[in-house]
Amino acid sequence: MNTETLIAVNIGLPIVSALASLLLGDRRERAGVVYVTVAVLVASSLLLYGAGGLELNPGDVFGTAVVALDFALLIYFMYQGYVNRSWQVLALSLAQLIPAAYFEFIVEGAHVEKILVVDGLSILLTLIINIVGSMVVIYALSYMDEHEHHLYLERSRQSRFFFYMLLLLAAMNGLVYSNSLYWVYFFWEVTTLCCYELIRHDGTEEAQRNALLALWMGLIGGVAFVAAMFVGYSAVNSIALTELMAAPLSQGLLLVFALAALAAFTKSAQFPFHSWLMGAMVAPTPVSALLHSSTMVNAGVYMLLRIAPAIQDTALSYVVAFMGAVTFTVTSVLAIRQRVSKRILAFSTIGNLGLITLCVGVNTGLSYSAALTLLTFHSVAKGLLFMGAGVVENKIGSKDVEDWEGLLGRLPLTTAVMIAGMASMFLPPFGMLLGKWVAVDAVASTPLLYGLPLVFLVVLGSGATTFYYAKWLGYLTVLPNGAKRTPERLETPYRVALYTLLGVDVLVSVGAALLLSNMVNPITAASYTLQMSTPMGGVDLGFTSFPVLPLWAAGAAVLLTGSWLAKSKGGAVATPYLGGENVADREVTFMTTADSEVAANVSGLFLASSIDEKWLDRLAVYLGTAIIVALFVAEVV
Amino acid sequence: MDYPETLISATLALATPLIGGLLMGVDRKLTARMQERVGPPLVQPFYDAIKLWGKAPMIASGLQPVLAFGYLGFALVAAGLVTFRQDLLLVFFVTGIADICLTVAAFNAKSPYSFLGGRREFLAMLSYEPVMLLAYVAIFLVTGSFTIRGIYEYGAPLLLVLPAALVTLMIVLVIEMKKSPFDVSGSGHAHQELVRGVFTEFSGYTMALVELGHWTKLATTLMILSLFWVPNPVIGAAISLAMFFAALMVDNLYPRLTWQRMLRTTWTVGFALILVNVAALAAGGVI
Repeated sequence: MNTETLIAVNIGLPIVSALASLLLGDRRERAGVVYVTVAVLVASSLLLYGAGGLELNPGDVFGTAVVALDFALLIYFMYQGYVNRSWQVLALSLAQLIPAAYFEFIVEGAHVEKILVVDGLSILLTLIINIVGSMVVIYALSYMDEHEHHLYLERSRQSRFFFYMLLLLAAMNGLVYSNSLYWVYFFWEVTTLCCYELIRHDGTEEAQRNALLALWMGLIGGVAFVAAMFVGYSAVNSIALTELMAAPLSQGLLLVFALAALAAFTKSAQFPFHSWLMGAMVAPTPVSALLHSSTMVNAGVYMLLRIAPAIQDTALSYVVAFMGAVTFTVTSVLAIRQRVSKRILAFSTIGNLGLITLCVGVNTGLSYSAALTLLTFHSVAKGLLFMGAGVVENKIGSKDVEDWEGLLGRLPLTTAVMIAGMASMFLPPFGMLLGKWVAVDAVASTPLLYGLPLVFLVVLGSGATTFYYAKWLGYLTVLPNGAKRTPERLETPYRVALYTLLGVDVLVSVGAALLLSNMVNPITAASYTLQMSTPMGGVDLGFTSFPVLPLWAAGAAVLLTGSWLAKSKGGAVATPYLGGENVADREVTFMTTADSEVAANVSGLFLASSIDEKWLDRLAVYLGTAIIVALFVAEVV
Repeated sequence: MDYPETLISATLALATPLIGGLLMGVDRKLTARMQERVGPPLVQPFYDAIKLWGKAPMIASGLQPVLAFGYLGFALVAAGLVTFRQDLLLVFFVTGIADICLTVAAFNAKSPYSFLGGRREFLAMLSYEPVMLLAYVAIFLVTGSFTIRGIYEYGAPLLLVLPAALVTLMIVLVIEMKKSPFDVSGSGHAHQELVRGVFTEFSGYTMALVELGHWTKLATTLMILSLFWVPNPVIGAAISLAMFFAALMVDNLYPRLTWQRMLRTTWTVGFALILVNVAALAAGGVI
C-alpha cells in the first residue's frame, strides 16, 4: 500500500469508527468496531514504517474543512466557557478566535504547499499512538462496563466515551503528520477538546471543574500557536514548519520557537502547568492511560523534538533543558509522598516527560537519541501501569496503595503485570533504564557549567524515582502468612490489552538495539551527528557501552537459577519473628508490653513529615513561571 | 580483550564472594580486638555459611528464596561488570537490582522487624545512591569515560584529583557495609528495636545466600575504591583496605544515628564535597 492511503487510514479510520461508536448503541457492536479499528490501525502504522515518509497536499477541500472546523471548535470552547462561567476559557478562546480570523481572512497568507510531511519522527510517534493507544481503547471495553456498573447508570454513556477516545487517536495521528502550523494548531485544539470531554465524562462537579482547568491551560497552548503563526509569517513569510526550520535563525524565529515550547509545556504538563494533568485523574482510568502513555502529553514533547534541531546552541534550548530538569526532580520527590496509585503514576509521567524535555533541551545527537528512547519506552510502560492500576481499582474498590498490601496473593495476574511494568520503569536491562543511561551520558558530556547543574538534578531525581517505585513494588509482594491466594479471572479485553502491551514492552526492551538502529538513530542522524552505534545487539556510545543482550541473559539466568534453587531446597513456611511474643494459634498477632493482643501491622513509607507537598507545589508554580519568563528573555540575549 | 585477561577477569569475578568473606573475617577479628576480645578465626564466616547451608530449610514466603538468590546473583553480575572493566553506571544500576531483591524479600515476609528494616534499607539507598552516582559523574568528568577501562586508560591516580569524592565514597561505604553510625536497616549484630532488620526473616540456606551476597557487594565496592590509584594496584588495594579499616574504626567509635541524619549527611556533606571538588578542578583548569 502506498503512503497516502496509509495516512488516510490512520487519520480517517478512527474518525469513522468514532462516529460509528456514537451511533451504535449496542455494546457488542461497539466492541466489534473497536477490535477491527485497532487491528487495522496497528497494521497500517506498521505498514507505514515499511512504506516510508512523504510530503503531501491533501487538497483545498480539506484545507477549507480544517478552517471551518477550527472556528466551530473555538466557538464551542467559548460556549463552554460561558455556560460554565469560566472567564479563563472565554478569554483564551477569544484571544484565538479574533487573530485566527484576521489571519485567515485578511492576511490570506496561510497557503502552504506541503501541508502534511511524514518523516521518521512522525512514523515513530504514529507507531506509539496506534499500538499503545489502541490497546488502551480495547482495555476500556472492559473497564467502562465495570465502571458504569459501579456507578449504577441507567443509560450507558459509553458511545460518547469511545467517540472521544477514538477521535483523540485520529487527532494525534493528524498532529504528527502536519507540517502547516495551521494544521498542527487545529489538531492540537482537537486533542484539547477530547481531553476536556473525557475528563468531564462522569459529569460530577469535580470532574467539570478539573476539565475546565485542563481546558484553559490547554488553550494557553492554542494562543501560543496563533501567536507563533503571526510571528512566523512575518519573519519568513510562511507557516510551514519545514520553512521555519530551514530559515536562518533570527530573533523573530526564536520567538516562534519559544512560543511553540510554551505550547509544548502546557501539553506535557511541565511546571507550572502540571496541575491539569493531576486534576485529570478524576476521569475513568482508560482516559488517564491514554493521556499519559501515547497521546496528549506526548504531543508536547513531540513539538519540542520537532523544533529542537533549529534551536541548537541557543539560550532558549538551555532554558528548555532546565525546565525539564527541575520538573523531573521536583515531581520525583513529590511522587514519594503520594498514597493514591494514579497520583504516583501521574507524577511519574510528568517527571519522565521532564527528563525527555531535558534531553531535548541539551540538544546533542546523543541527548536527542536519549529523548526518543525514553519517549518510546515510557509510553509502553506507563500504558501498562495505568491499565494495571485501573484493573486493581475496579476489583478491590480502592485507589489507595495502602490497600494494595499483598496484592500478589489476591490479584496475581494483574499484579505480576504491574510488577513487570514497574521494573521496566527503573531497572536494567529494560528500555527506560537504557534511555536514562544514555541521558546521563549525554548530559554529563556537555560543557561543565552547562551540564553540571543539570546532571545534579538528574541524579537527585533518579534517586527519588528508584525509591518510590521500589517501595511500591515491595509493598505489592507483602504476603501475610496463611493469607488465601485467590485465582484471578480477567475479562478478555483486559487480557488482550495487558498481555499485548507486556509482550511489546519485553520485546522492544530485549531488541532495544534493533529499535535504536532502525527507528531512533535514523531520526537523530537526519539533524545531528550520530554518536551511537549498535553492535551485537548492544548500544555503543564510543566512550562506553551498554551490553543489552548479555544483561538480559544474566538477569534471566539469575532468576531461573533462583527459582530452581527455591524449588529444590524448598522449606516449610514459618511464622515471622515477633520477639517471642507471638500468639500461638493466630498467625501474625503478638502481645504488647501492656499485655494486650495486637495484630502485627506494617504500612507504607510516604515520608509525610519530611516532604511538604503544599510548599513543593507552590515552589513548582513559582519556578515554572520564572522559567517561562526566562524562555522569552532568552531570545533577547 | 585477549584470552588470559578474560580468564583473570572471570576468575576474579567468581572470587569476589571469597574475598568478601575473608574481609568479613578480618572485620570480626579486628572488631574483637578493638573491644579487647580474642575473636573468632579468620575463616569463621565460611564456617558459618556452610553451617547455615546445611540447616533444615525454613522460609518466610515462597518468593523469599528466589529473591535471596537474586541478591547474590545480581551482586555477582555487578562484580563481573567491574572485573571486566565495564561501565560504572551499569555496575551501579545492577547493584541496585540486588538491593531491591533483598528489600523486597524483607517486605514479603510480613514481619514487622524485617519490614521496618526493609523500609530503612530503601531510605539507605535513597541516601547513598545519588551521591554515588554523582561521584561517578565526577570520575567521568576527569577521565572522559564512565567505564573502568577508561580509568585505566586515563592512567594517573584519581586520588590526586578527586580526593573529596573519595571521602564521599567513604560515607557510602559505611552505609553499604551497614556499619554504625549508619546501620539503620540492620547490622551484623541484633538491635533491640530492629532485631536484625532486613535480615530478620532469613534463615538456613536463604541466610547463607544473603551473607554471600553481602560479601560480594563488599568486595565489589572495595574493588571500585581501589580504582582511585590504578597505576599501581598495590597502592589501590591499600587505599581501599585503609577505608575498610576506617569504616571499622568508625563503627566501633560512634553510636547509631537516625535515618534523617544519614540522609542529611549524604545529601549535604556528600554532595558538597563532590561539587567543591569538581569546581576546584574546573577552576584549576584540570577539566
